Amino acid sequence: MATTDPPLRSVIGLLDHITATSLDEDYAQASERAAAGGRRPERRPGTGSLAILALFGILVVTAAVQTARTADQSANSHDDLVAQINERKAALAHQRDQIGSLHRAIDDMRASYAEASAQGRAVQNKLTRLGLAAGASPARGPGIKVTVDDAAHATAKQQVLDKDLQKLVNGLWEAGAEAVAINDQRITNLTAIRGAGESITVNYASLKRPYVVSAIGNPDRLGARFLDTAGGQTWVALHLSFGLRFDITPEESMKLPAAPHLALHYAVPRRPAQANTKETLR
Amino acid sequence: MIAGLGLLVGVVLGLVLQPAVPVWLEPYLPIAVVAALDAVFGALRAFLDGIFDDKVFVVSFISNVLIAALIVYLGDKLGVGGQLSTGVIVVLGIRIFSNVAAIRRHIFHA
Repeated sequence: MATTDPPLRSVIGLLDHITATSLDEDYAQASERAAAGGRRPERRPGTGSLAILALFGILVVTAAVQTARTADQSANSHDDLVAQINERKAALAHQRDQIGSLHRAIDDMRASYAEASAQGRAVQNKLTRLGLAAGASPARGPGIKVTVDDAAHATAKQQVLDKDLQKLVNGLWEAGAEAVAINDQRITNLTAIRGAGESITVNYASLKRPYVVSAIGNPDRLGARFLDTAGGQTWVALHLSFGLRFDITPEESMKLPAAPHLALHYAVPRRPAQANTKETLR
Repeated sequence: MIAGLGLLVGVVLGLVLQPAVPVWLEPYLPIAVVAALDAVFGALRAFLDGIFDDKVFVVSFISNVLIAALIVYLGDKLGVGGQLSTGVIVVLGIRIFSNVAAIRRHIFHA
């Protein structure tokens, strides 16, 4: 049992030591001890080995089963997530459709309710007029289309600025336009046209060039009157001296969308006890 | 003979029962299997060397599995679980290889 040799690990390297003692020394020691004790060494595996080997089998199988199960689970969870995403997307699209159809239903119901009486019709007319002016409802009609753009191979001075678009739109209002939109972004009295970095935003949406300003109004007179306004004059000058694109074309019929996210900031409905429709909407 | 029987019984039991491994035990299962494999190959080699001992096998198997799991557990607590697992697997792997080499020499005399 006690050896006179220096311990193996002190004379050889670690890896060599591991290799050299890969068989547990206990086997040799137990064997020696048994021989010294004079009892017959148990060389055959006994019940202990049987139990341990059974345990080993269970361990290996469990580990294998576990690994397979985990792999299944991660694959499953990936598929699950994809399925969930698609499901939610479909649900979202469905709900958006629902919002649209409910909005239409509300409009229809309001229209039919208002048209039921003379007073209601007056209110409905007023609503339509106000909705058009406020940009809350889509507008359709004849008008002009003013297409402006940077000059070809524009230098910094030859680009359309937010200020230029503001003047253009103000000129159109001055000339009698009833509804205005830039690149299908409806202009309301709360709309800001401003430069944000490289691009110009309207209703917080970035515009792409060229800028098409649609204005609904008398198509015969709107263009001419616009050129007489300060905004029109500015643009004639911009066109002539800087080469910015500036085209006015009359249109038979245009459709302008309603402005997005119109919200009331201060107005609240009156309590029903005090209010009648006439007063509220006057 | 009895060894093969034990192994067979274990495999069948595992397949039939499919015991659920608790989550906290899951990370230690693979390393325990490697440690058990080392003990089993060591036993096989000892058997072929003619110095097999039942008790030594039982003790070495259990202690191998427990110590391997303990080292990984300790490593996890110290934040070096991955590295310690690698170390344990390298050492056990070397032992398994050299034991299998000895077994091969016994069986094929080469």
